[in-house]
Amino acid sequence: MDELVDDFVARRPSGLEQAYALWSRLLFGVARHAIADRGSAEDCVHDALVRVWRSPNRFTGNREMLKAYLIACVRNESLGMIRREGRRDARELKAVRLAPVSSIDPPVVDPVETQRLQAALGRLPDEQRTALTLAYYGNKTHVEIARELDVPLGTIKSRISMAMRKLQTELASTEGVRS
Amino acid sequence: MTEHLGENAELYPLGLLDDDAVHDVERHIALCFACAERVAQAQSVAAALAAALPQATPSPALERRLRESARPQPGAAKARASIFPFGLAAAIALIFLGLGWQTLVLHQQLKADDVALVTMVHSHFNHVSMAPESANPVAAKILYARDGSWIYIIADKPGGSLHAIAETATGTIDLGVLPGTGETASLLLHPRERIRSVTLQRAGTDVASARLMY
Ligand SMILES: [Zn+2]
Repeated sequence: MDELVDDFVARRPSGLEQAYALWSRLLFGVARHAIADRGSAEDCVHDALVRVWRSPNRFTGNREMLKAYLIACVRNESLGMIRREGRRDARELKAVRLAPVSSIDPPVVDPVETQRLQAALGRLPDEQRTALTLAYYGNKTHVEIARELDVPLGTIKSRISMAMRKLQTELASTEGVRS
Repeated sequence: MTEHLGENAELYPLGLLDDDAVHDVERHIALCFACAERVAQAQSVAAALAAALPQATPSPALERRLRESARPQPGAAKARASIFPFGLAAAIALIFLGLGWQTLVLHQQLKADDVALVTMVHSHFNHVSMAPESANPVAAKILYARDGSWIYIIADKPGGSLHAIAETATGTIDLGVLPGTGETASLLLHPRERIRSVTLQRAGTDVASARLMY
């Protein structure tokens, strides 16, 4: 058993503290990617972590799955905040600053992992990769992507969905290659 | 609820869904094995995408705020303990959000049907066909552990959304809508008390019912 996961699911403060100690930089990075304002980004990390910790029945799985779940929650919290507060201007500025629309590449952090991700992304069909990277790294909604690429909304949703599933297969096939 | 998530399972962890849709996803995966599995996989892919983002150090104030928020609230501890009684060692608990009623245990690393199969392999169970209650009934069966620890309701061609109501010695419990596709709908429950009977309703009308004998 994993103490962190046990403590987290049992709603012990130590579970929240351990999760924070391990993943605060990662989660704050996820929030900052969408929200330029530091204070608001911290609010998102705080709210997402506390919400999940208080209702861990929504979470199931091991440590990696908990991390992935928290990342998704922080991402949803961040983009939700932007939507709710109508801060589209800030978001679009941020998106433009992050990457030009034509080539949105993940920034290099962990060279090995990034290389593996880049390689996996590289094996996606172009239109799927474009839709996914615009969504994740470009912070664009599927509606915005559809408009920008002049493609029906349903098509963009399918491309993103297929890209995610294909990426999963690609990443799984290279798992363990890292030494 | 009867509709599976489909592509929204992948859009969800990317932050592409609006608040209502996010809520719908979270509700659905609390009850549907297949979609919970699909969302978990999408989350792991989204985590790989996030790993390439630049990390950033939050201010020390955030950690203080979290500690503050994590402090037990007076009166809350008791309710928590009773809500979450079983361990997460192998199986995983998801709690149906109505009435504090525990409904599901599942393991996301297993496929939905495997969970039901594994549960059955490890227990003695009975089964009963649900009796039709209307002119337009539904073919449904209930498999249930002889010790009352779980019940599995399966409906074939539900023909619309089916609502399950259970009776126990102490009262009536609304189990909510049976998750499923148009073809089948099913629900695995780990009830706190023995369920004595189950009624399925479609649009407020009883369509099938069964009494469980232990
Ligand atoms: Zn489903």
